[in-house]
Amino acid sequence: MLSPERLALPDYEYLAQRHVLTYMEDAVCQLLENKEDISQYGIARFFTEYFNSVCQGTHILFREFSFIQATPHNRASFLRAFWRCFRTVGKNGDLLTMREYHCLLQLLCPDFPLELTQKAARIVLMDDAMDCLMSFSDFLFAFQIQFYYSEFLESVAAIYQDLLAGKNPNTVIVPTSSSGQHRQRPTVGEASVLEGVEASLFYQCLENLCDRHKYSCPPPALVKEVLSNVQRLTFYGFLVALSKHHGINQALGALPDKGDLMHDPATDEELERLLAQIPGLVNSATANPEASCLPSRTPPRVGSPWRPLHHARKLDAESDGSTEETDESET
Amino acid sequence: MCISFLIGDHIHLASSSMPSFPVLQRSSEEKILYSDRLTLERQKLTMCPIIDGEEHLRLLNFQHNFITRIQNISNLQRLIFLDLYDNQIEEISGLSTLRSLRVLLLGKNRIKKISNLENLKSLDVLDLHGNQITRIENVSHLCDLRVLNLARNLLSHVDNLNGLDSLTELNLRHNQITFVRDVDNLPCLQRLFLSFNNISTFESVCCLADSSSLSDITFDGNPIAQESWYKHTILQNMTQLRQLDMKRVTEEERRMASVVAKKEEEKRRESHKQSLLKEKKRLTINNVARKWDLQQHRIPSIATNQDRNVSDSPSQDPVSAFPEETGSLDSGLTNALQGLSVLDTHLVEVDGDTLSLYGSGALESLDRNWSVQTAGMVTTVSFTFIEFDEIVQVLPKLKIKFPNSLHLKFKETNLVMLQQFNALAQLRRVDQLTIDPQGNPVVNFTLWKYYVLFRLSHFSMQKINGTEVTQNDMIMAERLFGILAHVASSELPQYRLISILGDARKKQFRYLLETKGKKPGLVSEENNDSKKLAGENTNRATLNYTTRDFYNERLEEIKEKKKFCKMYMEDLVKEATEINMKNEALQKLWPQMFIELVRDAVIEIRNKNSYMKLCLQQITDQK
Repeated sequence: MLSPERLALPDYEYLAQRHVLTYMEDAVCQLLENKEDISQYGIARFFTEYFNSVCQGTHILFREFSFIQATPHNRASFLRAFWRCFRTVGKNGDLLTMREYHCLLQLLCPDFPLELTQKAARIVLMDDAMDCLMSFSDFLFAFQIQFYYSEFLESVAAIYQDLLAGKNPNTVIVPTSSSGQHRQRPTVGEASVLEGVEASLFYQCLENLCDRHKYSCPPPALVKEVLSNVQRLTFYGFLVALSKHHGINQALGALPDKGDLMHDPATDEELERLLAQIPGLVNSATANPEASCLPSRTPPRVGSPWRPLHHARKLDAESDGSTEETDESET
Repeated sequence: MCISFLIGDHIHLASSSMPSFPVLQRSSEEKILYSDRLTLERQKLTMCPIIDGEEHLRLLNFQHNFITRIQNISNLQRLIFLDLYDNQIEEISGLSTLRSLRVLLLGKNRIKKISNLENLKSLDVLDLHGNQITRIENVSHLCDLRVLNLARNLLSHVDNLNGLDSLTELNLRHNQITFVRDVDNLPCLQRLFLSFNNISTFESVCCLADSSSLSDITFDGNPIAQESWYKHTILQNMTQLRQLDMKRVTEEERRMASVVAKKEEEKRRESHKQSLLKEKKRLTINNVARKWDLQQHRIPSIATNQDRNVSDSPSQDPVSAFPEETGSLDSGLTNALQGLSVLDTHLVEVDGDTLSLYGSGALESLDRNWSVQTAGMVTTVSFTFIEFDEIVQVLPKLKIKFPNSLHLKFKETNLVMLQQFNALAQLRRVDQLTIDPQGNPVVNFTLWKYYVLFRLSHFSMQKINGTEVTQNDMIMAERLFGILAHVASSELPQYRLISILGDARKKQFRYLLETKGKKPGLVSEENNDSKKLAGENTNRATLNYTTRDFYNERLEEIKEKKKFCKMYMEDLVKEATEINMKNEALQKLWPQMFIELVRDAVIEIRNKNSYMKLCLQQITDQK
């Protein structure tokens, strides 16, 4: 626990890096808002529940956008919640428009801004024909990149524009010599004849960006991988490549691999149970007195954060057919 | 040429000096017996014979001959009665000297025009039936004429009747008359026969109503006589009538006629009122629609001056604001509408089982004291040109005031998010839902119906937009969104569940308390309602809808709290870091401090004796 890197950071910076203060402030705020209700069952329990929900990723449900956007963990939790709730829509095979996806997003977050959804749609549709239908998986992965790395992407866009215009932000301009450290970029005319920018140069700029960026960025190694496959690429081409890259998805840890996107046995079970109740749905509820109206809760899972799904799957694959004793525990 | 033939034994037609006309001579016996009358019926005459020496003749009968022209009678200046029935006369002529003529019978001839009657001022009876006359003319000097027969002619209308001051009977049967005028100029007219003509409306003979002398009239054989309103219209408009179509008019009939006429008047007034109301309603709806479009920025708001004009001087506007509509209004309606002093900006209408609300102002009408009967009959509520967010706020009122409303219709209400449907969950029950695509973009989403079925599953709705809801639809809805409900209920922390549900209930009660109905009976109903609320499928009860305005309001309110929390946390953090620093400092210094403590202690007790003395002294000092 007391690792040297942790102690090396001054207090505020440490807290800020882990966003501890954000959660503490939010917890206190929630406490203030609901004091009458919470005071009934104790503040300690409230804090327990709050941080449990933060760990489980359910704290962002039906919260305002400013909170959801506040920390990377929040964003990842939101993505995961969206996936879990609307996976069934994707499984059904419906192709939806950008506005419809936005509607679904709004079900979870009432003031989710339209611009973000639009940007995500642009990635899928390559900035073309914005009314087109998109599949659930395409949209989801593009949305993930757009939402999780939104600040990073803005900077990338700026860099891209600069490169297109012929300015290289990396060059150090030495005023005296004409033959210097900087290479003359091709003129604008030349750049527009060839589509996009040169991959290697682009990567250099991005590497710089990742170093000094205080917002979250994709792991530079993976970005290099993406850029190494091509000579030149456009901005949206780059984003599409990012969204489809398995490694980045796994590094983020919110969503399962594309192939497993529709696969979630736990919730499927839950769904089957709900479906079985349909004919009796109307009748069964009327007799309940108010006290027991809140659904009986499964005891909150204490401690362990939600496990990234690709690990879970590995677990399932291993325990298939084998006896129960081999239980791999998480470290 | 000499033509002679015998008419009986007494009359002898001999040759004359004129080449073509026969000359008539009677025996003196005949002359004495019948000095004033002469009958030449069926004599196969083709022309009028010259009649000599019969200047006293008063009656002359030429019936059933083939005479083509009236001639050779100008010397018979005492003639009173001239009968030329059934001949072939084509023109009235040769009568100008017969100033004493009283009866002129020219029926069944070929006369095309009434003319050359100027001198016949004493004419009493004029019979022109069975001819080819097309117009009534040249009779206005016949002020003694009592009977005029123009039956079986080619008259298409009747006018030009002035001057016939003595006319009592006018026979116009079997013509082609479509309208009648000037009859009120006939002061003595008692009998008017219009059978077998082409009269179809009373308006075409309306002058008859003004004729006080008319007592006998016939209309049979006209199209008007086939109408259902024929008898009582005639009787009502011609109260002086004694006989209609040759039948006496009874008191009973007259009474019935007046009753029926009154009823018709009522009906007409009623329908006039209705059309006035309808027009007003249409204009109001147009006005509301226009306001709505402005609000939605669909039409560029031309200088706000115009808007201000609309609100300030509404009385001038009903017609001018919608120039394209005036064409359809008849002038009477337009005038009536000018009188309307207020052009409403909203409309509330109850039509049997439907309550229709247009424009946001209409929502206030829910506060009115609706009679239990009226309110109980309403099963459908329709909202048009009202923002859905505003409707959401009055749903609790709707629930109470119109408990039987089972079908909700929304048109031009700005439904844009699926989430908005969550607001409908608070109602008691909805059987049918109709969302008109016009003005409700949410309908463009492929999954909207499933979401509605999912969220409002506890209503077990029958129809959405007119289509029946099938079991498969319900299953699909559950399949698509069931996980959402599951997440919304079982994965939310306890405190959030309570706060969300508490919030929703609090909001409902807020409105109920604000309304006038604060009677104790109502309060208990609220409690029952809250229990029933629990009956709603609770795993989706947390899916609520807060209108945009409220949401932003709440976020604003929270800002203060957030600021406070931030400051509070900063203080705490500062305190914690200070303590941490102190702790770290202590950690660093402690070893040294400990060593010093130990060293001091050891130095102190190095000399046991002096230390003991010191301790004892300390103890005594303490006392």
